[in-house]
Amino acid sequence: MIRLSGRLRSSLIIGVQGIRARKLRTLLSMVSLFLGVQAVVVVQTGASLAERSLLSESELHQGKDGTLLMYLPSRADTIPVALDTLRGRSDAVAVTSTRAVIGEPGVSPVNPGGNPFDGTDRYGGGYGVICDNSGCRSINGPADSQAPPGAAIELQLIGLTGDVRQFRPYRLESGRWLDFSSAPSLSPQIVINKQAAKGFARHRVPAEMRIDGATADPTPRIIGVVDDGGYQPAAYVRTEELLNWLPQAALGSGDGGGLQLLLSPSATAVEQTLRARLLAGGARAEEIHAEPVNARERAARELAIMRWVFLGMASLVLLIGVAGILNVGLATVGERIEEFALRRAVGTPRSLLAGIVLAETLLTGLFTAAAAIGFGAAGLKVLSAVLGDRETFLANVEFPWQAGVAGVIAGLVAGILGGFVPAVRAARIPIATVMRA
Amino acid sequence: MTPLIQLDAVTKTLKGQGRPRDILCGVDLTVRAGESVAVLGRSGSGKSTLLSLIGLFDRPDGGRYLLNGRDITRLPERRAAALRSAEFGFVFQRFFLLKQLTAAQNVAMALVNGQGWLPRRKRRVKVLAALDQVGIAHLAKQKPPKLSGGEQQRVAIARALVREPRVLLADEPTGALDTETGNLVIGALYAATERGCGLILVTHDRDHAGRMGRVLQLTDGVLTPATARAGV
Ligand SMILES: Nc1ncnc2c1ncn2[C@@H]1O[C@H](COP(=O)(O)OP(=O)(O)OP(=O)(O)O)[C@@H](O)[C@H]1O
Ligand SMILES: [Mg+2]
Repeated sequence: MIRLSGRLRSSLIIGVQGIRARKLRTLLSMVSLFLGVQAVVVVQTGASLAERSLLSESELHQGKDGTLLMYLPSRADTIPVALDTLRGRSDAVAVTSTRAVIGEPGVSPVNPGGNPFDGTDRYGGGYGVICDNSGCRSINGPADSQAPPGAAIELQLIGLTGDVRQFRPYRLESGRWLDFSSAPSLSPQIVINKQAAKGFARHRVPAEMRIDGATADPTPRIIGVVDDGGYQPAAYVRTEELLNWLPQAALGSGDGGGLQLLLSPSATAVEQTLRARLLAGGARAEEIHAEPVNARERAARELAIMRWVFLGMASLVLLIGVAGILNVGLATVGERIEEFALRRAVGTPRSLLAGIVLAETLLTGLFTAAAAIGFGAAGLKVLSAVLGDRETFLANVEFPWQAGVAGVIAGLVAGILGGFVPAVRAARIPIATVMRA
Repeated sequence: MTPLIQLDAVTKTLKGQGRPRDILCGVDLTVRAGESVAVLGRSGSGKSTLLSLIGLFDRPDGGRYLLNGRDITRLPERRAAALRSAEFGFVFQRFFLLKQLTAAQNVAMALVNGQGWLPRRKRRVKVLAALDQVGIAHLAKQKPPKLSGGEQQRVAIARALVREPRVLLADEPTGALDTETGNLVIGALYAATERGCGLILVTHDRDHAGRMGRVLQLTDGVLTPATARAGV
């Protein structure tokens, strides 16, 4: 066992004697402090949950923090150069987006423009605007297109040169994810997202895929469904398989156009090589955009004001609790004047007495923090169990450690604030006046 | 032999409400090991003030205070606390026992004061020995509200003795007790001087004062040998 100093041992004994003699008071202090500490814990929990939900959304849409995103211009030579540079690399993935329709040939899709199916249902036909390289145009449902509407759905066909899930952790809902290690297959294997799955579930469509600019209509095999956090129907396919039907130049004709690259932070050589080759091929430097994903900082910034406002309110409640502790502490010191004078008379240093008073309120603060944290964690569990199905951000959440830390800090700060004045008073009690007969 | 306690022309002025009052105006006092001294004086003459200076509860305004030949007139509070623990034992008119603690725990209070450390077993031995010295070892586990006044005061004396101090300071220790119990308490205090402890007893009782080796009188802020008629 650690050898505690005589002072520490003495103060432990005196402190425990003090708390045992005043159990009810200690309890009352805790009650007065509880709400304040609880408020801090709740605010911190909320902020952490909000941040995490922002982060996981951004991880799906952009990439994990640190991932380098590169956007390349959609020029005829860009895509071949990029694909060539990335060949055989696992730390960088090129993402292309192409418009594709799956279903009956010669009909216009039920969701022109690749709109979400919920939207088309609600608005009865998917009116809207679609934007791509050639500008924006309105899509006014079947009337606008020459072909009659039929059993076909439109989606974004997203070509991947490698496993994008190392950067964007798409959750596999069923089936399996694309296998990038095997030889490319002649009938393309595709993994659709949840939105696309909805369309397939609602509309019986034949499995024939028409791809913009394709030389033949392939028959895809759907091997899995992922949740990619997207709102539009999409399908993922290996670029190598896609290129069996599509000339390289036709890649990247879909939304946003061009080519997006995701690079792991260590893949700086790839970035430099690619940049050099593109510049040599005639691209202009300002056409190549590269920026690292920095979602944590952005989320923190977005939440900062809210968090401070709520923490400010929580601190006010905490302050009321501190006033409670202070009140009880002062009353207790008033009651213990004789005890403290006596302890000083028998040689207890005043610093030790002050320390004991402070330690008693600190312990009270810590006990309160423990209670508030326990209560918060249990409450979150209940909330998650009851509402987790409806509110996805509450589904299997863990109590965030930041909230625990905040609770402990709040308890300690309240203990120090509420115990300081009584401690100073205790240390200042004059022996001569109290002990005079 | 250097005296245990030596006061040279010690003065003390107290500022209460109103103008400052000179309570002590040049007190000279010498107490040697094993010596017992009684201090008599009218109420308000400054006896308690004198004891609080000797016991380092307070500091003199003027003069010199030597303990064992060492000048401690201006001692920082931290060192004063250490000396109070090591050299002095105090007994007051009110017993100043903590009522939620047992007799033994009240005595142990002088050992659990942040000045050095004794393990629990050694503490117990010392506490029981001190209670035994004042004849109430059998009451060790009782709490003060269940003890008589005389028993309570003897617990307080045991607390004063448990660290084997060199000086015992007693401020009207029999003030709240009947004559017979008072005699018992004085006897317990006097017994300590036989083991070489110095004793300064403030009292209003001439009989108790008479049992001490020397009787002094505090009048007008000065200590003088007591005359037969002075006192109460
Ligand atoms: N804190 C103080 N401030 C100002 N005056 C004080 C203070 N304490 C005591 N006095 C005054 O100092 C004088 C001496 O007080 P002290 O308690 O020493 O007297 P005493 O001789 O012990 O009296 P008693 O026999 O009644 O106990 C008294 O007149 C008292 O009013
Ligand atoms: Mg007095």
